[in-house]
Amino acid sequence: MSNLSSSKYRGYEADRSKYPEMKNGKAVIDLDSHKYTKIWQGPQHPGVTGNMSVELIVNGDEIVWAKTHVGYLHRAFEKLMERRKYIQCFPLVCRICVPEPDTNEYCVSAAMEDLAGITVPEKAQWLRTLNLEMSRIGSYLMWLGGQAGSLGMGAIAQWTVGMRDFWLDLFEEMTGGRVYHMYMIPGGVRKDLPDGFKERARDLIIRTRRLLSDVENTFISNALVKSRLQGLGIITPEMVDEFGIVGPNARAAGRGYDIRINNPYVKYDELDVKMITSTVGDAYARAQLRYNDLHQSLDLVSEILDRMPEEGAIQAEMPNLVNWKIPPGQTYVKAESTRGEHGFYMVSDGSEKPRRVFARGASYTHAISVLEKLAVNISISDLAGLMVSLHTCPPEIER
Amino acid sequence: MEQLIKKIKGMVHLRAYGKQRDDLHFVTVDKAQLEMILAHLKNYEGFTHLAFLQAVDLLEEGKFRLIYMLYNYSTNVNLGVNVLIDRDNAEMNSIHKLWAHGWQYQRELHELFGIDFPDSPRVHESFVLEGWEEMPPMRRDFDTLEYSNRTFYQRPGRSTNDPAEYMKEKIYKNYPAAPVIRRDNE
Amino acid sequence: MKLKDVLSPLRVWERAAQKPWTIKDPINDRPGADNYRGFHKNDFSKCIGCGTCEEICQNDAIDIVPVEGQETVDGDSGLRPMIDYGRCCWCALCVDVCPTGSLTMSNDYTWIADDPEDYRFVPGADKTKWQDSTVGYTRSPDIQILDYNRVDMLEIKPEDRDKSFIEIVKGYNKEQAIKEAERCIQCGLCTATCPAHMDIPGYIAAIRDDDLDQALRILYETNPMPEICGRICTHKCETACALHNNGDPLAIRWLKRYIADQIPADKYQEILGTAHLVDEQLNRKVAVIGAGPAGVSAAYYLAIMGYKTKIYEALPASGGMARYGIPEYRLPYDQIDKDVEYLKTLGVEIQYNTRIGEDITLEELHREYDAVFAGTGLHLGRSTRVPGSDHSRVYFATDMLREVTLGNEIDVAENIVVIGGGNVAMDITRTLARLQNQKYGKVQVLATCLEAEEVMPADLEEIVEAREENAVIEPAWGPKEIEIKNGKITGLHVSKCLSVFDEDGRFNPRFDEEQKKFFKADMIVESIGQGMDLSYLTEEIKAELKMTPRGRIEVNDKFQSNLKWLFVGGDIIEGPDVIHGIANGYVAARGIDSYLNSK
Repeated sequence: MSNLSSSKYRGYEADRSKYPEMKNGKAVIDLDSHKYTKIWQGPQHPGVTGNMSVELIVNGDEIVWAKTHVGYLHRAFEKLMERRKYIQCFPLVCRICVPEPDTNEYCVSAAMEDLAGITVPEKAQWLRTLNLEMSRIGSYLMWLGGQAGSLGMGAIAQWTVGMRDFWLDLFEEMTGGRVYHMYMIPGGVRKDLPDGFKERARDLIIRTRRLLSDVENTFISNALVKSRLQGLGIITPEMVDEFGIVGPNARAAGRGYDIRINNPYVKYDELDVKMITSTVGDAYARAQLRYNDLHQSLDLVSEILDRMPEEGAIQAEMPNLVNWKIPPGQTYVKAESTRGEHGFYMVSDGSEKPRRVFARGASYTHAISVLEKLAVNISISDLAGLMVSLHTCPPEIER
Repeated sequence: MEQLIKKIKGMVHLRAYGKQRDDLHFVTVDKAQLEMILAHLKNYEGFTHLAFLQAVDLLEEGKFRLIYMLYNYSTNVNLGVNVLIDRDNAEMNSIHKLWAHGWQYQRELHELFGIDFPDSPRVHESFVLEGWEEMPPMRRDFDTLEYSNRTFYQRPGRSTNDPAEYMKEKIYKNYPAAPVIRRDNE
Repeated sequence: MKLKDVLSPLRVWERAAQKPWTIKDPINDRPGADNYRGFHKNDFSKCIGCGTCEEICQNDAIDIVPVEGQETVDGDSGLRPMIDYGRCCWCALCVDVCPTGSLTMSNDYTWIADDPEDYRFVPGADKTKWQDSTVGYTRSPDIQILDYNRVDMLEIKPEDRDKSFIEIVKGYNKEQAIKEAERCIQCGLCTATCPAHMDIPGYIAAIRDDDLDQALRILYETNPMPEICGRICTHKCETACALHNNGDPLAIRWLKRYIADQIPADKYQEILGTAHLVDEQLNRKVAVIGAGPAGVSAAYYLAIMGYKTKIYEALPASGGMARYGIPEYRLPYDQIDKDVEYLKTLGVEIQYNTRIGEDITLEELHREYDAVFAGTGLHLGRSTRVPGSDHSRVYFATDMLREVTLGNEIDVAENIVVIGGGNVAMDITRTLARLQNQKYGKVQVLATCLEAEEVMPADLEEIVEAREENAVIEPAWGPKEIEIKNGKITGLHVSKCLSVFDEDGRFNPRFDEEQKKFFKADMIVESIGQGMDLSYLTEEIKAELKMTPRGRIEVNDKFQSNLKWLFVGGDIIEGPDVIHGIANGYVAARGIDSYLNSK
């Protein structure tokens, strides 16, 4: 893509014509020269996504150097799981991502089932699909609020986060919890849908669409938003492989990689999931893509509700899970979170406890390697918008 | 996939191969041949996506198992490349030149497992554990409970009971314990 | 820049006219959903204090503690969970795992207290505003964290077994046993209920780890007759099993049998470490009367403690009532021999066909030995004493079962009525059914008892299997008269029995004399209980020996009578069942040990 090198686009290739001076391919930044200022964005900063911080060196309001710091939220879940029985893991893993805990629950249960050779019954699969897709809606709504908020549009943030709360109401009915649902257990799910759930969910889909039409008018089709986001944080197709970029970030750069389509899990193979891609690769393209994906998720939830079987087991026949041992082996199970490929690598050694669990979150590279690269040569005021447009989520970096 | 495995077999010493699912395979290769096979898989076999690089502590065998999880976008197949390295003075070649985010995983493995990647950029920077002075905590012999008891205080006044012991105390305290077998040589 | 993109955001103002979503008073207007995971509730009437909630809590938030007013009884430890809400993460795994379903959650999630200690309490014991809440999270009946379904035991089909005395229950194989053992949650409530207080969770865990040597060692710590006990134990432990509250209890008895079945007799000494016992180290001798479970148990523990022990048995083989009272299809004789043969390898002598009081007197034993243990059992039948019960074709079940075991010919009639509803009654019914089948090719045996079907003392599987073998069971009838015509029995007259015990719990059956029935029979077997034969006690001893008001020998907690050298146990003291006998023998052996050491 030749136009990427034009000065209109900022990000991938930094314009070093003025500063800082380059020596042997490295920027020379002398803080004592008083040309540069070091500032920290985060960890307590409204413009940072969650508990992380970015150490910045700026020249005027232009970022010339950035470094991501994490570790404010390290709870050692992977280590804790090595010290817990398999059944005790599911209440832990949901905490790896606050806005979208269900992907973790699914992956950890699916990894155990894969290692133990358990087939989850049809109805439980549908309930899992519903749960996962609903959590994607919740996460996208929160992202939409964050993206708008990062550009100073607090009202839109309030609408969408408010709407997300109605989705959390549905989660509360379905799973018993609003934020951490702890719904998927090895072998299936914990509860069937309550009475009248489908009607309330369909009603909420309509309300969400109504809200989204307002968002369309005020955000997607907003000259201000376009001028702020277009050209910001361009991810080129070459970067996708280079940095292991996944999810909407990769799809906006033209890489058609959506695990729901490429490696379908639960019931996605029976659902009509469309690959939404763009070739522009900037923050606005990503915003548009997520907005469209959110609409698709609403469609999918609607379709799942229609196809949800009335009867059926919600859990496979399981042994006593308190003494459950899984035969030795290793596996990797992944699912499409709103941020991209979310996977669990699990090793069992035949005992009652997992040998090793690793949670792969999309933000691991997005918030460190990619962010540190894309942040250079943009204005400080754009950094928050850039971070949100990468949809970074610190807890999945440090687990 | 069978062809690919055959090809890998022809190129390197294939220590083990396993198929977990149709879209997930594992191979184990020698430490010295890893970079070569990864470069081949990335450049010629379409495994362009490095999903993660992680380690498993095989304490009993004195080894670390490194796992490079690759993905092929066109065939939708995950291939996990395993390498066993010694646990003492654990060291491995860096792959940051193959994947730009490789250094991140290598930094993490250095901090959490104590595996060194000599050429990897920023590998000795702290990742999540600034100011950590204990052994790398993801090693199996790091005792989390002992560390926790040493570092944090417990809420006072907690006590618990074993139901079986408690019932013995309450119901059949005087029931004699099993007799000691009196052997000739004791 | 498009003009549309400039103008369209202005539509933000449309929303100014919309009704806000805010909930005005969230504390009162916003209860949790019906399925909400709020503060815990615990129904004390269901809770058994098994501690599984504590075990499963991955936050270490639950302690299981004594609570005022909760007694420790069989099947209920009296402990209750205390939850530390500073640690609880509301995952409700404790609710899902609770085997009784006593632990649930309310939908209440708001609560403010000044003292942080208030957030640690025992749900159900301390008054809370949500304790009567009817909604909140409960375990869905469609999911299982614990496994409530027992691994099926293979049995020989009725048509293949009803003509012979072949053992019915096949026993678990390794895969089945491990699968069954995995169901155990190690709460240990069963240990208190077992009369021998066996370490049941211990040997089940050993089965799970496939370490049968260790399992056998655990068995022999408190029970030297695993083959016998593993087949015919009354398994009170299984009624105390926590899983029994919501499904099938662990098959504790079959698992015990599995351990013993897998290990050949010649390996016992090596595994149990009894190859080189001290040889008369103490130079003290103990005599045991009766080679039944109590006697064998006492002899075993005396032997491993180094005592020279000799058993005197009146009948020609060992096992006592286990052999002469229980049919072979339930307990094959070679399995009794396996347990007893191992005992013999430890140097214990058994003298058969020697009846104390006839062949040797008790005084002689007293003179010759330092202590005597008597486990002589209940071998006498009891009569209903209804008119006609003195007829020669009216038998006692115990006598008849003994005759069958001894191999003596039984004159089986074509129509037989058995009076009694316990396990012995089922044993004789099914034995006679087999004999009838052999002789006549058909079964015409009927068992009747006072108790109604639901409260029949026999084990359920005994009743089921008896019916499978074509025996008829007629519960809730009281025998009135045996009809005799021309010197021959023609049948039994019965009246409907309404209740067996009165308000005070005394045996005092009430009948409805209007409802009558006649069971045709030309032979009747009475099986309404057994009596003890204490004729070996001489007049001198009787004069000194203290008896209880109910006619049993009075013993202390070591089964020692007031004659310090005489220890008594087994069915004549407690039971009747095999496990009490074993437990008595075990305790008495320890008692004899301390008595002789203090002498």
